[in-house]
Amino acid sequence: MQWVVATASFLASAVEFVEAFTIVLVVGVTVNWRSALLGALAAAATLALLVATLGTALVQWVPIDALRMVIGTLLLLFGLKWLKNAIMRYAGLKARHDEQAIYEETRAELRARGEVEASSSRFDLFGFLLSYKSVLLEGLEVAFIVITFGLSAASSTVSRSSGLASAAFGALAAGLLVILVGAIVRVPLAKVPENTLKFVVGIMLTTFGTFWLGEGFGVEWPLSDAFLLILIAIYLGASFLLTVWLKRVKKQQQAQAIEKQAVPATEYSKEVSR
Amino acid sequence: MKVIKAIYNFIVGDMVILIGVMLAVTILALINNVPALAPLRGLSGPFMVIAVLASLVATLSREAFSPTR
Repeated sequence: MQWVVATASFLASAVEFVEAFTIVLVVGVTVNWRSALLGALAAAATLALLVATLGTALVQWVPIDALRMVIGTLLLLFGLKWLKNAIMRYAGLKARHDEQAIYEETRAELRARGEVEASSSRFDLFGFLLSYKSVLLEGLEVAFIVITFGLSAASSTVSRSSGLASAAFGALAAGLLVILVGAIVRVPLAKVPENTLKFVVGIMLTTFGTFWLGEGFGVEWPLSDAFLLILIAIYLGASFLLTVWLKRVKKQQQAQAIEKQAVPATEYSKEVSR
Repeated sequence: MKVIKAIYNFIVGDMVILIGVMLAVTILALINNVPALAPLRGLSGPFMVIAVLASLVATLSREAFSPTR
Protein backbone atom coordinates (compact mmCIF):
# COMPACT_ATOMS: atom_id res chain seq x y z
CA MET A 1 0.00 0.00 0.00
CA GLN A 2 1.37 3.44 -0.98
CA TRP A 3 0.02 5.59 1.86
CA VAL A 4 0.88 9.01 0.40
CA VAL A 5 -1.02 8.15 -2.78
CA ALA A 6 -3.94 6.69 -0.81
CA THR A 7 -4.12 9.76 1.47
CA ALA A 8 -4.07 12.28 -1.39
CA SER A 9 -6.72 10.31 -3.22
CA PHE A 10 -8.79 10.03 -0.01
CA LEU A 11 -8.73 13.80 0.60
CA ALA A 12 -9.49 14.73 -3.01
CA SER A 13 -12.33 12.21 -3.16
CA ALA A 14 -13.78 13.26 0.21
CA VAL A 15 -14.21 16.87 -0.97
CA GLU A 16 -15.89 15.90 -4.22
CA PHE A 17 -18.09 13.23 -2.62
CA VAL A 18 -19.31 15.73 0.00
CA GLU A 19 -20.40 18.01 -2.87
CA ALA A 20 -22.06 15.13 -4.72
CA PHE A 21 -23.74 13.88 -1.52
CA THR A 22 -25.61 17.19 -1.12
CA ILE A 23 -27.44 16.66 -4.44
CA VAL A 24 -28.07 12.95 -3.74
CA LEU A 25 -29.54 13.97 -0.38
CA VAL A 26 -31.89 16.51 -2.00
CA VAL A 27 -33.06 13.91 -4.52
CA GLY A 28 -33.49 11.36 -1.72
CA VAL A 29 -35.54 13.69 0.45
CA THR A 30 -37.53 15.36 -2.34
CA VAL A 31 -38.02 12.65 -4.99
CA ASN A 32 -37.24 9.32 -3.31
CA TRP A 33 -34.28 7.43 -1.90
CA ARG A 34 -34.54 4.56 -4.38
CA SER A 35 -33.93 6.78 -7.42
CA ALA A 36 -31.25 8.81 -5.61
CA LEU A 37 -29.24 5.77 -4.50
CA LEU A 38 -29.61 3.96 -7.84
CA GLY A 39 -28.33 7.08 -9.64
CA ALA A 40 -25.37 7.41 -7.26
CA LEU A 41 -24.50 3.71 -7.56
CA ALA A 42 -24.70 3.80 -11.37
CA ALA A 43 -22.37 6.82 -11.45
CA ALA A 44 -19.93 5.15 -9.03
CA ALA A 45 -19.91 2.05 -11.27
CA THR A 46 -19.23 4.24 -14.36
CA LEU A 47 -16.31 5.92 -12.57
CA ALA A 48 -14.88 2.57 -11.39
CA LEU A 49 -15.07 1.29 -14.97
CA LEU A 50 -13.27 4.40 -16.23
CA VAL A 51 -10.46 4.04 -13.68
CA ALA A 52 -10.12 0.31 -14.35
CA THR A 53 -9.99 0.54 -18.15
CA LEU A 54 -8.03 3.77 -18.59
CA GLY A 55 -5.71 3.01 -15.67
CA THR A 56 -4.94 -0.52 -16.85
CA ALA A 57 -4.34 0.65 -20.42
CA LEU A 58 -1.87 3.28 -19.23
CA VAL A 59 -0.09 0.80 -16.94
CA GLN A 60 0.27 -1.76 -19.71
CA TRP A 61 1.11 0.23 -22.81
CA VAL A 62 2.62 3.63 -22.07
CA PRO A 63 6.40 3.80 -21.35
CA ILE A 64 7.25 5.13 -17.90
CA ASP A 65 9.20 8.23 -19.03
CA ALA A 66 6.45 9.42 -21.36
CA LEU A 67 3.87 8.64 -18.69
CA ARG A 68 5.76 10.69 -16.09
CA MET A 69 5.79 13.75 -18.33
CA VAL A 70 2.09 13.50 -19.21
CA ILE A 71 1.08 12.69 -15.64
CA GLY A 72 3.37 15.35 -14.17
CA THR A 73 1.83 17.96 -16.47
CA LEU A 74 -1.73 16.87 -15.62
CA LEU A 75 -0.98 16.82 -11.88
CA LEU A 76 0.47 20.33 -12.13
CA LEU A 77 -2.56 21.64 -14.03
CA PHE A 78 -5.02 20.07 -11.58
CA GLY A 79 -2.91 21.02 -8.56
CA LEU A 80 -2.45 24.67 -9.51
CA LYS A 81 -6.18 24.98 -10.22
CA TRP A 82 -7.11 23.55 -6.79
CA LEU A 83 -4.42 25.62 -5.04
CA LYS A 84 -5.47 28.86 -6.77
CA ASN A 85 -9.13 28.39 -5.80
CA ALA A 86 -8.25 27.48 -2.20
CA ILE A 87 -5.96 30.53 -1.80
CA MET A 88 -8.63 32.80 -3.28
CA ARG A 89 -11.20 31.42 -0.84
CA TYR A 90 -8.82 31.88 2.11
CA ALA A 91 -8.18 35.48 1.02
CA GLY A 92 -11.91 36.16 0.64
CA LEU A 93 -11.72 36.78 -3.11
CA LYS A 94 -14.01 33.85 -3.85
CA ALA A 95 -17.06 32.60 -1.97
CA ARG A 96 -16.60 29.39 -0.02
CA HIS A 97 -18.63 26.35 -1.03
CA ASP A 98 -21.88 26.47 0.93
CA GLU A 99 -23.44 22.99 1.01
CA GLN A 100 -26.52 24.25 2.90
CA ALA A 101 -27.17 26.92 0.25
CA ILE A 102 -26.72 24.42 -2.60
CA TYR A 103 -29.11 22.03 -0.79
CA GLU A 104 -31.80 24.72 -0.41
CA GLU A 105 -31.35 25.94 -3.99
CA THR A 106 -31.64 22.46 -5.54
CA ARG A 107 -34.59 21.65 -3.30
CA ALA A 108 -36.38 24.83 -4.42
CA GLU A 109 -35.72 23.89 -8.06
CA LEU A 110 -37.21 20.44 -7.51
CA ARG A 111 -40.22 21.91 -5.71
CA ALA A 112 -40.77 24.31 -8.60
CA ARG A 113 -40.81 21.27 -10.86
CA GLY A 114 -43.64 19.76 -8.81
CA GLU A 115 -41.65 17.39 -6.60
CA VAL A 116 -42.75 17.99 -3.01
CA GLU A 117 -41.76 15.28 -0.57
CA ALA A 118 -40.60 11.71 -1.10
CA SER A 119 -43.98 10.00 -0.82
CA SER A 120 -43.65 7.07 -3.23
CA SER A 121 -40.79 4.62 -3.67
CA ARG A 122 -41.45 4.27 -7.43
CA PHE A 123 -38.41 4.68 -9.67
CA ASP A 124 -38.23 8.25 -10.93
CA LEU A 125 -36.10 8.82 -14.04
CA PHE A 126 -35.54 12.52 -13.34
CA GLY A 127 -34.35 11.84 -9.78
CA PHE A 128 -32.12 9.01 -11.01
CA LEU A 129 -30.53 11.18 -13.71
CA LEU A 130 -30.01 14.15 -11.40
CA SER A 131 -28.28 11.96 -8.83
CA TYR A 132 -26.26 10.15 -11.54
CA LYS A 133 -25.14 13.41 -13.14
CA SER A 134 -24.04 15.05 -9.89
CA VAL A 135 -22.00 12.04 -8.72
CA LEU A 136 -20.50 11.51 -12.18
CA LEU A 137 -19.50 15.16 -12.67
CA GLU A 138 -18.02 15.53 -9.19
CA GLY A 139 -16.35 12.14 -9.43
CA LEU A 140 -14.83 12.59 -12.87
CA GLU A 141 -12.07 14.85 -11.63
CA VAL A 142 -11.44 12.42 -8.77
CA ALA A 143 -11.20 9.55 -11.26
CA PHE A 144 -8.50 11.43 -13.16
CA ILE A 145 -6.67 12.28 -9.94
CA VAL A 146 -6.87 8.62 -8.88
CA ILE A 147 -5.40 7.51 -12.21
CA THR A 148 -2.67 10.15 -12.48
CA PHE A 149 -1.67 10.08 -8.83
CA GLY A 150 -1.81 6.31 -8.67
CA LEU A 151 0.44 5.94 -11.69
CA SER A 152 2.83 8.74 -10.80
CA ALA A 153 4.59 7.32 -7.75
CA ALA A 154 5.92 4.22 -9.44
CA SER A 155 8.86 3.04 -11.46
CA SER A 156 7.71 -0.37 -12.69
CA THR A 157 4.53 -1.93 -14.05
CA VAL A 158 3.98 -3.84 -10.79
CA SER A 159 4.35 -0.75 -8.57
CA ARG A 160 2.20 1.25 -11.00
CA SER A 161 -0.62 -1.28 -10.51
CA SER A 162 -0.10 -1.08 -6.77
CA GLY A 163 -0.17 2.74 -6.91
CA LEU A 164 -3.42 2.65 -8.86
CA ALA A 165 -4.89 0.20 -6.32
CA SER A 166 -3.77 2.47 -3.42
CA ALA A 167 -5.37 5.52 -5.05
CA ALA A 168 -8.58 3.58 -5.75
CA PHE A 169 -8.59 2.37 -2.13
CA GLY A 170 -8.30 5.98 -0.89
CA ALA A 171 -11.20 7.08 -3.10
CA LEU A 172 -13.35 4.12 -2.03
CA ALA A 173 -12.67 4.78 1.66
CA ALA A 174 -13.64 8.44 1.22
CA GLY A 175 -16.83 7.47 -0.62
CA LEU A 176 -17.84 4.98 2.06
CA LEU A 177 -17.09 7.46 4.85
CA VAL A 178 -19.17 10.22 3.24
CA ILE A 179 -22.07 7.81 2.62
CA LEU A 180 -21.88 6.49 6.21
CA VAL A 181 -21.74 9.92 7.85
CA GLY A 182 -24.38 11.24 5.44
CA ALA A 183 -26.71 8.31 6.17
CA ILE A 184 -26.38 8.96 9.91
CA VAL A 185 -26.81 12.75 9.95
CA ARG A 186 -29.13 13.09 6.91
CA VAL A 187 -28.23 16.78 6.43
CA PRO A 188 -25.76 18.48 4.06
CA LEU A 189 -22.22 17.96 5.33
CA ALA A 190 -21.62 21.68 5.75
CA LYS A 191 -19.11 21.32 8.59
CA VAL A 192 -16.53 19.46 6.49
CA PRO A 193 -13.58 21.90 6.03
CA GLU A 194 -13.79 21.67 2.24
CA ASN A 195 -11.41 24.53 1.51
CA THR A 196 -8.70 23.16 3.79
CA LEU A 197 -9.02 19.73 2.15
CA LYS A 198 -8.83 21.34 -1.30
CA PHE A 199 -5.77 23.33 -0.23
CA VAL A 200 -3.99 20.20 1.07
CA VAL A 201 -4.83 18.28 -2.12
CA GLY A 202 -3.69 21.25 -4.23
CA ILE A 203 -0.33 21.31 -2.42
CA MET A 204 0.10 17.53 -2.83
CA LEU A 205 -0.82 17.50 -6.53
CA THR A 206 1.42 20.48 -7.31
CA THR A 207 4.31 18.95 -5.36
CA PHE A 208 4.07 15.55 -7.05
CA GLY A 209 3.42 17.17 -10.43
CA THR A 210 6.62 19.24 -10.16
CA PHE A 211 8.60 16.22 -8.95
CA TRP A 212 7.44 13.78 -11.62
CA LEU A 213 7.58 16.25 -14.48
CA GLY A 214 11.15 17.01 -13.42
CA GLU A 215 11.98 13.29 -13.29
CA GLY A 216 10.49 12.91 -16.76
CA PHE A 217 12.96 15.52 -18.00
CA GLY A 218 15.86 13.81 -16.25
CA VAL A 219 16.12 16.25 -13.32
CA GLU A 220 18.09 14.72 -10.46
CA TRP A 221 16.50 16.20 -7.36
CA PRO A 222 18.84 16.64 -4.40
CA LEU A 223 18.09 14.16 -1.54
CA SER A 224 16.09 12.05 -4.03
CA ASP A 225 12.48 11.37 -2.84
CA ALA A 226 13.05 13.39 0.35
CA PHE A 227 13.04 16.49 -1.85
CA LEU A 228 9.25 16.10 -1.96
CA LEU A 229 9.15 17.43 1.62
CA ILE A 230 11.21 20.47 0.60
CA LEU A 231 8.84 21.09 -2.32
CA ILE A 232 5.86 20.86 0.06
CA ALA A 233 7.53 23.42 2.37
CA ILE A 234 8.24 25.78 -0.56
CA TYR A 235 4.66 25.62 -1.85
CA LEU A 236 3.16 25.94 1.66
CA GLY A 237 5.30 29.01 2.37
CA ALA A 238 4.48 30.59 -0.98
CA SER A 239 0.75 29.92 -0.50
CA PHE A 240 0.83 31.51 2.96
CA LEU A 241 2.58 34.63 1.62
CA LEU A 242 0.18 34.84 -1.34
CA THR A 243 -2.86 34.56 0.96
CA VAL A 244 -1.56 37.37 3.20
CA TRP A 245 -0.81 39.54 0.14
CA LEU A 246 -4.25 38.93 -1.41
CA LYS A 247 -6.01 39.75 1.88
CA ARG A 248 -4.12 43.06 1.93
CA VAL A 249 -5.05 43.76 -1.70
CA LYS A 250 -8.70 43.07 -0.93
CA LYS A 251 -8.65 45.46 2.05
CA GLN A 252 -7.06 48.19 -0.07
CA GLN A 253 -9.62 47.70 -2.82
CA GLN A 254 -12.47 47.89 -0.28
CA ALA A 255 -11.02 51.08 1.23
CA GLN A 256 -10.71 52.65 -2.23
CA ALA A 257 -14.30 51.69 -3.06
CA ILE A 258 -15.54 53.32 0.16
CA GLU A 259 -13.53 56.48 -0.62
CA LYS A 260 -15.00 56.64 -4.12
CA GLN A 261 -18.52 56.36 -2.70
CA ALA A 262 -17.79 59.00 -0.07
CA VAL A 263 -16.42 61.65 -2.48
CA PRO A 264 -19.61 62.15 -4.57
CA ALA A 265 -21.67 62.28 -1.37
CA THR A 266 -19.47 65.08 0.03
CA GLU A 267 -19.67 67.02 -3.25
CA TYR A 268 -23.47 66.66 -3.23
CA SER A 269 -23.72 68.00 0.34
CA LYS A 270 -21.52 71.00 -0.67
CA GLU A 271 -23.87 71.72 -3.59
CA VAL A 272 -26.88 71.58 -1.26
CA SER A 273 -25.33 73.95 1.30
CA ARG A 274 -24.61 76.53 -1.47
CA MET B 1 -15.59 23.47 -30.15
CA LYS B 2 -17.88 22.79 -27.20
CA VAL B 3 -16.05 19.52 -26.50
CA ILE B 4 -12.65 21.25 -26.54
CA LYS B 5 -13.95 23.95 -24.19
CA ALA B 6 -15.42 21.32 -21.85
CA ILE B 7 -12.09 19.44 -21.73
CA TYR B 8 -10.20 22.69 -21.14
CA ASN B 9 -12.55 23.68 -18.32
CA PHE B 10 -12.34 20.22 -16.80
CA ILE B 11 -8.55 19.97 -16.79
CA VAL B 12 -7.52 23.52 -16.03
CA GLY B 13 -10.07 26.23 -16.82
CA ASP B 14 -7.41 28.92 -16.44
CA MET B 15 -5.46 30.26 -19.40
CA VAL B 16 -2.63 31.72 -17.28
CA ILE B 17 -1.93 28.38 -15.59
CA LEU B 18 -2.14 26.54 -18.90
CA ILE B 19 0.26 28.92 -20.66
CA GLY B 20 2.64 28.95 -17.67
CA VAL B 21 2.88 25.17 -17.43
CA MET B 22 3.13 24.67 -21.19
CA LEU B 23 5.84 27.32 -21.43
CA ALA B 24 7.79 25.62 -18.64
CA VAL B 25 7.45 22.22 -20.34
CA THR B 26 8.59 23.66 -23.70
CA ILE B 27 11.64 25.36 -22.17
CA LEU B 28 12.56 22.17 -20.27
CA ALA B 29 12.23 20.15 -23.47
CA LEU B 30 14.52 22.63 -25.26
CA ILE B 31 17.10 22.53 -22.45
CA ASN B 32 17.07 18.74 -22.60
CA ASN B 33 17.22 18.34 -26.36
CA VAL B 34 19.28 21.24 -27.73
CA PRO B 35 23.03 20.51 -27.27
CA ALA B 36 23.87 24.21 -27.06
CA LEU B 37 21.64 24.50 -23.97
CA ALA B 38 23.20 21.47 -22.25
CA PRO B 39 25.06 23.61 -19.64
CA LEU B 40 21.65 24.75 -18.33
CA ARG B 41 20.51 21.20 -17.55
CA GLY B 42 21.62 21.51 -13.92
CA LEU B 43 19.21 24.41 -13.48
CA SER B 44 16.14 22.47 -14.72
CA GLY B 45 14.91 21.66 -11.18
CA PRO B 46 15.03 25.21 -9.76
CA PHE B 47 13.63 26.53 -13.04
CA MET B 48 10.62 24.21 -12.74
CA VAL B 49 9.82 25.31 -9.19
CA ILE B 50 10.17 29.00 -10.14
CA ALA B 51 7.97 28.49 -13.22
CA VAL B 52 5.23 26.86 -11.12
CA LEU B 53 5.34 29.64 -8.53
CA ALA B 54 5.36 32.32 -11.25
CA SER B 55 2.26 30.75 -12.85
CA LEU B 56 0.48 30.74 -9.48
CA VAL B 57 1.41 34.36 -8.75
CA ALA B 58 0.38 35.44 -12.26
CA THR B 59 -3.04 33.79 -12.14
CA LEU B 60 -3.78 35.09 -8.64
CA SER B 61 -2.70 38.61 -9.60
CA ARG B 62 -4.98 38.51 -12.60
CA GLU B 63 -7.91 37.46 -10.38
CA ALA B 64 -7.11 40.04 -7.69
CA PHE B 65 -6.86 43.00 -10.06
CA SER B 66 -9.55 41.92 -12.52
CA PRO B 67 -12.12 44.73 -13.01
CA THR B 68 -14.87 42.14 -13.55
CA ARG B 69 -14.38 40.43 -10.18
